[in-house]
Amino acid sequence: MEEEILKNKTIDSDLENTIDIFKSLYSVPMNTDVSIRNLFIGGLNRNATAISIKTISDSEKIEEQIIRPLLSNSDSDLTIEDICAAQFLNTHSQIQEILKDINNGNTALFLDGENKAYLFDTVKFHGRSVEKAINEVSLRGPKEAFNEDVAANISLIRKKIRNENLVVESVTISKRSNNELYIVYMKDLVNDKLLKDVKDKLNSLDVNAIQNLSVLEEYIEDSSKSIFPTILSTERPDRTVSFLEDGYIALLMNNSPDSLILPATFWSFYHNPEDHYLRFVFGNFIRLLRFLALLITLFVSAFYIAAINYHVEMIPSDLLLAISATREVIPFPAIIEILLMEIAFELIREAGLRVPNPIGPTIGIVGALILGQAAVDANIVSPLVVIIVALSGLCSFAVGDISLNFSIRLIRFLFIFSAALFGFYGITALFTCGIFYLVSFRSFGVPYLAPMTPKYISSKDTIFRKMLKKELYRPGYLKPQDIEKKKDNS
Amino acid sequence: MKSMEKTQGKIGIKEFVAIILLTVGTKLSDNTPNILYEDIANAAWLSIFLICLIWLIPLVLLIKLNTLYKDKNLIEIIQHLFGKYLGFAILFICWFMQTYVMFYNSVIYPDIIKTMYFNNTPLLVIALVLMAVTSFGAMKGLESIGSTAWITLIVIKISLIMVLVITFLQGEMDFIYPLLGEGGWKLIKESYNNSSIFTEFLYIFFIASSIKNTKVFTKGLWIGYIFVSIEFILALVGYVMIFDYYGIRLLDYPYHETIRYIQLGFLTNVELFFFPFWIVASFIRLSFYLYLSALLFGALFKIKQFQYIVPTLATISVFLGLIPQSITFSIDYLREIFLQIITPFVLSLPLILWITAKLKGELKK
Repeated sequence: MEEEILKNKTIDSDLENTIDIFKSLYSVPMNTDVSIRNLFIGGLNRNATAISIKTISDSEKIEEQIIRPLLSNSDSDLTIEDICAAQFLNTHSQIQEILKDINNGNTALFLDGENKAYLFDTVKFHGRSVEKAINEVSLRGPKEAFNEDVAANISLIRKKIRNENLVVESVTISKRSNNELYIVYMKDLVNDKLLKDVKDKLNSLDVNAIQNLSVLEEYIEDSSKSIFPTILSTERPDRTVSFLEDGYIALLMNNSPDSLILPATFWSFYHNPEDHYLRFVFGNFIRLLRFLALLITLFVSAFYIAAINYHVEMIPSDLLLAISATREVIPFPAIIEILLMEIAFELIREAGLRVPNPIGPTIGIVGALILGQAAVDANIVSPLVVIIVALSGLCSFAVGDISLNFSIRLIRFLFIFSAALFGFYGITALFTCGIFYLVSFRSFGVPYLAPMTPKYISSKDTIFRKMLKKELYRPGYLKPQDIEKKKDNS
Repeated sequence: MKSMEKTQGKIGIKEFVAIILLTVGTKLSDNTPNILYEDIANAAWLSIFLICLIWLIPLVLLIKLNTLYKDKNLIEIIQHLFGKYLGFAILFICWFMQTYVMFYNSVIYPDIIKTMYFNNTPLLVIALVLMAVTSFGAMKGLESIGSTAWITLIVIKISLIMVLVITFLQGEMDFIYPLLGEGGWKLIKESYNNSSIFTEFLYIFFIASSIKNTKVFTKGLWIGYIFVSIEFILALVGYVMIFDYYGIRLLDYPYHETIRYIQLGFLTNVELFFFPFWIVASFIRLSFYLYLSALLFGALFKIKQFQYIVPTLATISVFLGLIPQSITFSIDYLREIFLQIITPFVLSLPLILWITAKLKGELKK
């Protein structure tokens, strides 16, 4: 713990001593990307040393705006801040603070005879530029997506909300890696208690490192073991902004090409930004399709099993004859048939995702076709089962959100088992339990099915959306400071 | 800025109406119609009309009391008006009646499921699943029961309306004659005897303080009351139109026989398209019964966390339900007697409450 003690100390006016401390902390010369530049400032007649980390700072900027002005200076009246053109941040004397700044890509300048360091902004991390959204595709509306650079992400948000009430607060959430999290919210809309709850939760984290938002999600969720997600993750800035304007809170982080929105209701997972970009009728049409797809994914396989095992009489007799003719040659009960194909489909899906890009789609299609056709020919499954599983698999893609998608895919298996045990009785029993569970489930204190039940003032944007002119209210379950959207309060 | 409503722990009008519609409305699809048909044949629908009228006075009195004691529910009103010992006795009777009805239903519903849909499944297993689901719901509390009822209400009622429409299209209008069935006097007598079919409307007052406010409660109650009466009457007319004067008295579960009988275009066996909706309604209904039972038990013995009694009650009811042999006969008989015994009590309780309040001079406030 010798280092810990050292870090809490302040630097003294002896330059050589200070540099030795930093050299030992950074393991120079073993550590190759730490740059230590010694220089002599003519005008002030003093020795100085600049420390930065090459790989995360802009070396051209350091050279042009810090080193060169200092070396060429001959005026003794100027202060350091005036000589250097680079943006001056602060002075620090505590070693820990200086280290933190250097680790973030800034440059620290030490002067002989002064017991403080001058810090300049020279950050330059490498990353990709703003690109198209790949997971949440939409045909109309903006295409840009978040990337791993949080500054760019915040800029994408600010681009859409030109308002001084947009606050970007930063919190350090991990002890060792000093990962920084940005809490984004509208100061005049967000519910203060909710904001405080979230901040308390973030401040109570006691972990070494949280690399990105995907990991953070599990730490701050209330019910992280639940099958339903309680925090929405989106890679679209436009979506994040529309949530912010409703009074939600967004979390951003470096290295995360997405934002976390909280609290989240079932509807925020079910919706897609495109619903509002398309015309009223078209938008509701795709909502209807999505709802149907959701029901089909959940129930179609279970219905098949229930009908074949328990309720044969409900199938029209011609169809029943056709089904039994194809099932005659198959040695398995319906549940095995369905499970075989469902699991095969899940495997293709998972494997197709991990296969290297160029061969991915080919493998997927070929795998599905061959597996389906061959399985029927080999009398392992009946053709109807292939149709049913393909339908349920296809429909599961209509629910765009990854987390909800997983929930539905898993619940589908529960329904299959309940149907195998008790037919329609089992399906409805599980369904009722599910609804009981959903209505009592909460995300950061907000009922999961709000505003459908319990009712709150809102724009009633649930299964279907209203005309934009009629979407007058912010969601009441968030208890925003200002609930009316149209009210002029500037 | 509009005021923000706090719904924490209280249920709104939609959920409240949904609870009423599912708890009382679902009765038209169990063996309740059978009891009416046995006594008054095809005039059963008229008797619902009469029962509806009979209940008007108790309901008005109860609503008056409820408006008077704004923050209290019927439990607290009874304790307040009758004092410690008499209040306990009356609440105990209420609890006993409620629990009896719950035990009874936890026998009848598995029996419907077994005889009509799952002939080969053991009764015990069906009952266990039923009670597991309903106790899960009851333990989640009134808010969840209300929300679940509201979410599922629309599809359940659509399926019922579909059944009724088909019934009216495929039935014979002439079958409802003679209008008065076995005669006017018998109709009135039996209507009175069986008017405890609507006892739930008395029990609804036990949860009055969990509804958002008294106004919402009163409004929701009337909406539910009118809607339930209309659907009950329509259903009873519909069954007669399908099975006629004589046939209807032989059936144990007219609703289920009806959905077996009707056809939907090329589909000849449609009962399983209606069965899931009916069973969801039944789950919610029994959850509410269990909840009420536990609530009253909690009030009687001062148990704050009364939802923990739910699993015990559910388990007992499953095993008590297994005792009677040949369920439909023995239980039907028991139920008829029970309905006739409790009728004077449930009808006079509101009046007695009101008179006590009047005598205590609290109505003038």
